[in-house]
Amino acid sequence: MNFENARSFVLELAISRGASVEVYAMSRASTGIKAFEGEVSEFKLSKQMGLGVRALVNQAWGYSFTENFSEAALTRCLEMALSNAELVEPVGHAVIGAWAEPPHVGDLYGEGLSGVSIERKVQQAVTLEATTRSADPRVKTVPYAIYSDGESQTAVANTAGLDRSYKENFAYQFAGPLVSENGQNKSAFEFKFSREFEQLDPNQTALEAVRKSLAMLGGLPAPSGTYPVVIDRDCMGTFLGTFAGMFSAKQVQDGKSPLVGKLEQSIGSSVVSLLDDATRTGGIDSRPFDSEGYPSQKLVLLERGVLKNFMHNCETAAKVGLQSTGHGSRYGYRGTVGVSPTNFYIEPGVGTQQDLISSIDQGVLLTAVHGYHAGANPINGDFSLQADGFWIQNGKVAHPLEVFTVAGNFLELLQNIEAVADDLEFKMGGIGGSSVRVKSLNIGGQ
Amino acid sequence: MLNPETVSKVLQTAKSGGADWSELFIEDTITSSLRTLNGVVKDATGGNEYGAGIRVLYGTKVVYAYTNDCSEQGLLEIAQAIAKAYGSSGVTDAAGRGGLDFRVSTPAPMYAVKHHPIQTGQREKLELMKRAHAAAWGVGAVKTVDVMFLDYAQKMLVANSDGLWAEDERIRSRLYVNAIADDGSNRATGTAGPGASMGLEFFDGNLPEQTGAEAARIANAMVGAGYAPAGKTPVVIGNAFGGVIFHEACGHILETTAVEKNASVFSDKMNQRIAGDCVSAVDDGTIPGAWGSINIDDEGMPSERTVLIENGILKSFMVDYVGELKTGFPRTGSGRRQNYTFAPASRMRNTFILEGRDTPESLIKQISYGLYAKTMGGGSVSPGTGDYNFTVVEGYMIRNGEICEPVRGAALVGNGAEDLMNITGVAGDLARGQGNCGSVSGSIPTDVGQPHILISEITVGGRS
Repeated sequence: MNFENARSFVLELAISRGASVEVYAMSRASTGIKAFEGEVSEFKLSKQMGLGVRALVNQAWGYSFTENFSEAALTRCLEMALSNAELVEPVGHAVIGAWAEPPHVGDLYGEGLSGVSIERKVQQAVTLEATTRSADPRVKTVPYAIYSDGESQTAVANTAGLDRSYKENFAYQFAGPLVSENGQNKSAFEFKFSREFEQLDPNQTALEAVRKSLAMLGGLPAPSGTYPVVIDRDCMGTFLGTFAGMFSAKQVQDGKSPLVGKLEQSIGSSVVSLLDDATRTGGIDSRPFDSEGYPSQKLVLLERGVLKNFMHNCETAAKVGLQSTGHGSRYGYRGTVGVSPTNFYIEPGVGTQQDLISSIDQGVLLTAVHGYHAGANPINGDFSLQADGFWIQNGKVAHPLEVFTVAGNFLELLQNIEAVADDLEFKMGGIGGSSVRVKSLNIGGQ
Repeated sequence: MLNPETVSKVLQTAKSGGADWSELFIEDTITSSLRTLNGVVKDATGGNEYGAGIRVLYGTKVVYAYTNDCSEQGLLEIAQAIAKAYGSSGVTDAAGRGGLDFRVSTPAPMYAVKHHPIQTGQREKLELMKRAHAAAWGVGAVKTVDVMFLDYAQKMLVANSDGLWAEDERIRSRLYVNAIADDGSNRATGTAGPGASMGLEFFDGNLPEQTGAEAARIANAMVGAGYAPAGKTPVVIGNAFGGVIFHEACGHILETTAVEKNASVFSDKMNQRIAGDCVSAVDDGTIPGAWGSINIDDEGMPSERTVLIENGILKSFMVDYVGELKTGFPRTGSGRRQNYTFAPASRMRNTFILEGRDTPESLIKQISYGLYAKTMGGGSVSPGTGDYNFTVVEGYMIRNGEICEPVRGAALVGNGAEDLMNITGVAGDLARGQGNCGSVSGSIPTDVGQPHILISEITVGGRS
């Protein structure tokens, strides 16, 4: 059965059995090209579709999914969702509705991408790799030179009469060289996302990746201690992405967020505002509606340090007598409905990153942190992470640092932000960072 | 899942753009997942992953395509797309028409599942979860307990243009407990997640209770703990999941995926010393019923026990089909992938450091000031540089050869190649722990493991 037929088949079968059901379906196609030593080393094509059923039985949700679109498999999928619902504790706030019309979200489907020939895509990856490799004699090898694009259709329908879908496409490129000097190896990467092919300049991405990697050579040991720190915008984006889950009402209601009971309280410095905006034009994570079909909106989470809102889906909102904020999410058709950020960002402030650096006598410019899936704890905000960065001396970047650690607590970090620069940029995962100056963080090195 | 005529047609079509070799992988996987929070059933889900991946090689260049349309027509469509894709040369090869004569290999399963998880009712799993919950809930300061039960049965077939035809069914079950202790001012988490390539019989006895109790023990041990100090110190790393250091810092750079790009510090070190005498390590896919064991790999090769390091000398990499073509080292049955959406790559199975002559106590006794990293969390490594990080979930300070106060919030940061030379003691209490390893070919089940080991110097990312 094709995509549309499979969706209607399950929905009609559910209606004929008098069941309350939501059908979330996704169909996508993608191309991925890796280049190595001047040639394509890997070429990947895909066509994938799947369908997830969420059934509401006596106020309890049961789930199931299938990638097999035969009539028997689709029927089994519906039945499995219904029987799974019988195992689950009723929640009391579960709703299926024909929600309000979603807003128009611009720029989800770049017209310029669909007509690009395979030859040009191949050339893009090869150029990316070649420019990265030849940019400097200290480039030892280029483990990562990747071009990828794709398009997808996401459709949500339910037995309450809702039926909506949207299409989007994307392209990105990624370069990661390994540079070497005096026996020291360093590697940094650069990533660029767009919905228009012409906006991806392979030379720019390649040269930036090489510049970042070379800048780390010649590192000196970091002295252990507590220092003022400027966090680079990309790295700030990593922190925000790691701890965004704290602002999920689901985490709060499950007792897994340190922000329980803190609404309307000041939890951050007055220069910090955090927002989430799924309607942002051109945003990586922009969408007209969420995984429950609920309309997207722009939401203020932290306003000048004060906690104003949590992100909600329909169920978490109903539990506390609110409306959903359109943050229902699922990990594709396989996942269950949770709450996740979309384009989550820190509102830009004033001045440049250099302005932030120039007021520091001795400190650290933090450019990347690694291992945050393990070294950061969203339950309490603690982090202890491998870091890359530079030593700041007398208001200037003095020299790179050898691998060191940075440790602290995200909530303390929010309180200790003294200034935010005007350099907001969105990177992987839809998270937008601006450079910030933090009063102090713990640095572990020599 | 498919008849030989169809498979043969698909493999030949995929090769028809002038490729040297083609491979078809198809799977039909049933998954199930249950979650309780504080004893209440929150999620019950499951489903059917169903799809096929076709890989062709032009020399060592890989073209891979996948689809959910596993009909003959669907597979031929994607095979044709693949034949045209590479370099868009449009060259077609009319030679080699006619069916392939497959050699069917039926691997002897090393473990016979007794209690198939998919054929078992969900309520039986919920009973096991209840027992695990009860062993953690309310213990000490534990206020929140998440329990998950995950299982799957993957039926897979792999065939290639050399005439290989191999099928298997892989069954795995895992129980996972996450306990959060809250003493009013601090929170700490403890986790435990035993898993196996077994059915529900894995949980016979009191394993559910042990799992809940272990998660609660760690959370309680850490809730009142202060922060670890920052700086370089000697570290004793605990056994079982402590082996994550070896997995991250050394295992990944012994995969030909890293070696073949000259992106591994061990690329040119075969038969040379890369670790102290006391270090021997293996990647063993043949342990019956173990989480990371496989009867055959995802390229159809029988699994094996691969000695990586023997008394400090590098003996083998982990090698997949393309890895052998690129490096010349013989395949080790290490070609693995998460599912049909990934081309296989050289990956770990059950990877661990073998027993040494010390005891955990004798290692601790050697340290006047340092850290005991009793329980480890996850981490990551940069394959080019070997720089790694991983998290100490449960740590204690060591002073004058004695284990002292608990400390938390520490990352260990270092370099795999340097640390391997700095392992100065290995105890005899080898144990393994289960993890999911994420890399180029997706997330796959692997065991890590080791006895207690002593590393003379590691950077600890503490806060005091």
